[in-house]
Amino acid sequence: MKFVNRNTLFHRLDPRTKIAMSLMCACLIVVLRTPEGLLVLFSILLATFFFARPPVAYVKTLMYLMGIAVIFTVISQGFFYYFEPKTSILTIVPENWGWIGKMTGGLAIYREGLIYGAVQSLRLCSAMVLSMTIVMTTYPSDLILGLERIGVPEKVGFVVTVSIRFLPAIIEEAKRILIAQKLRGLSVKGVRGGFEVMRYLLPPLIIDSLRHARRIALAAAVRAYTGERTHIRTLRFSRTDWIAVVISTFITLFLVFFYGGLL
Amino acid sequence: MMIRIENFTFAYPDSDKPALENISLEAAKGELLLVRGKSGSGKSTLLYCLNGIVPHIFNGEYSGRVQVNGFSPGDISIREISKTVGTVFQNCDSQIFMMRVEDDVAFGCENLRMSKDEILRRRDEALKVMGLWEMRRKETFKLSGGQKQRLAISAIYAMGPKIFLLDEPTTDLDQDGRKDFFNILKQLKSEGKLIILAEHQYEGYMPLVDRIVTLDNGRVVPSVYASDGHPDSFQGYGSLADIIISCKDLCVGYEKGEPVLKNIDIEVRRGEVVALSGRNGSGKTTLLKSLAGILRPSAGCLTVLEKVNPRLETLTGNVGFLFQNPDEQLFTDCVEEEIAFGPRHLGKEVDIEKYLHISGLYDARSSHPQTLSRGQRQVLAVTSILAMEPEILLLDEPTTGLDETNWGRLFSLLHQCVKEGKTVVFTTHNRKAAGTASRIIHIDEGKIVSDEIRK
Repeated sequence: MKFVNRNTLFHRLDPRTKIAMSLMCACLIVVLRTPEGLLVLFSILLATFFFARPPVAYVKTLMYLMGIAVIFTVISQGFFYYFEPKTSILTIVPENWGWIGKMTGGLAIYREGLIYGAVQSLRLCSAMVLSMTIVMTTYPSDLILGLERIGVPEKVGFVVTVSIRFLPAIIEEAKRILIAQKLRGLSVKGVRGGFEVMRYLLPPLIIDSLRHARRIALAAAVRAYTGERTHIRTLRFSRTDWIAVVISTFITLFLVFFYGGLL
Repeated sequence: MMIRIENFTFAYPDSDKPALENISLEAAKGELLLVRGKSGSGKSTLLYCLNGIVPHIFNGEYSGRVQVNGFSPGDISIREISKTVGTVFQNCDSQIFMMRVEDDVAFGCENLRMSKDEILRRRDEALKVMGLWEMRRKETFKLSGGQKQRLAISAIYAMGPKIFLLDEPTTDLDQDGRKDFFNILKQLKSEGKLIILAEHQYEGYMPLVDRIVTLDNGRVVPSVYASDGHPDSFQGYGSLADIIISCKDLCVGYEKGEPVLKNIDIEVRRGEVVALSGRNGSGKTTLLKSLAGILRPSAGCLTVLEKVNPRLETLTGNVGFLFQNPDEQLFTDCVEEEIAFGPRHLGKEVDIEKYLHISGLYDARSSHPQTLSRGQRQVLAVTSILAMEPEILLLDEPTTGLDETNWGRLFSLLHQCVKEGKTVVFTTHNRKAAGTASRIIHIDEGKIVSDEIRK
């Protein structure tokens, strides 16, 4: 999952605008309580996602992740819904079923739980679509520059840049270590095999990352890095950005008043 | 004199032996000074003393004087020094910070807080001089090894230093990358820059070198040229034995795009020592990986040890594979355990003592593998694969970064296993290493260009 170079309106927005919009969405995800409100929010986000012209592979990944999120939240909430009142629609273990019944206190699927799960999964899915849209449409260093411009310290920004830059290398390395383990006869079977793999994966991965980190630190020092920098990339907050901010603020307020339970 | 070192001695904090001892050295504008020496001889430390990493980052005890362009590196900050002294390290990957080529070239200048126009001017000039202009918008992780090296040098060049310290900058480069680097050195020299080059494989650069400094155990010793003989040669091995690897019309590719290897036909006989040579990105590592079953053929037929288009799991134990970076294959916390790891998981009874002896690691048998030197780690990684007593040994660039001692150890290990009737296939872009093989297969753009059996 990374930046996709396209020329859509959403790609052209200033990263600060996108950060502001994400913050508004984050608030809405928490504040909105009714299924209708969350559904409206989710639809808007999904529309934005498709508006940014995602590659087919990204759409598939998103559907897959959302599918898992929905199934798990709905099922788990259906079973373990806690609040009263609740209506059982399918009883699996009745309360009076000897010791199993006593121990579990009865096991059933509740209608309110299913609804609650659906609402929760809407929240999860909204967050997923949102983060995917942002990552897909913003050049990473612009996002960091945006964060710095709104007051995140330069050093934090640099740490994030470097992590993004080096994360793929670490993942590649982990893959090679796993192959090297297989080639030396370590076979993965069951939970214990998994632990064995981890036991022999983490030490070389961590030690090599530390070595790598030291090399990076030296290289940064000789490139005069001290935490203060003149950026040649500049951000431009255009009229489109103002319009986008105004419209999203308006939508946010609208959703809060109509579905947030404040009225 | 731009650099003047007088009676300089330096010891790292946890070490009882000085890393540099009584060094005296002078160098002037426009000179190219070659620093030679085994790993651990003090080459890198010498460079660290000039760019301020010693004493600012690695502090220790020191005596004597270091003067660089009229100042002493201990007295001013590394940032200040970096305006005069530029450093390029061996591993180009850890020197690239930005996602886009042009952003990375500007990074150093941004840190020096130059004006925006100045940064842009310097950035564009560096990109043009170093021949990166065409790929300035490219993402840095998509560059080849040689291009990354050029980017690392450009990024330093843009900062405008008078002195360039190059710490084994071409270890990972192929022949073409080295030719490129030769031209970069020429360019820098013509601009009157002082260059200090620490390098194992320096033969190609000799025409540009003004002086040689040889370090041994932290001291300067009289320079002697290394001989060019091939005492490690395997010529004439394995020409009549049975075929154990065969590729027919083999194509291998990654998920998308054209296959990396196209219609490869090779037969390898038991006991052969085959060198796969070629540029970075020519497909030699891809071929090696498919022989181990790490990559599967997309078309054609590959037979290894009578298994057709084998999977990794079916070859485990019979085929040993060495990755380029030894650290990715050392998992355990002691040398002895590391060698025993493979045999134990395969349920083979193996004489570990024997392998400790032939690898020269007997005295280090209870050390943690990660505390060994890079060369020793490489030898250990090879040994722990040999200990599984595989029929076929596949090695990806086994000589990268080895000094003469560990080079000798590696080849005596390989001799040992060829004598036992094993087959070795290795990739290399080092001519000396390729010259030892009984057969050299040259690959370019995924195709076999030449296949020479040497007698």
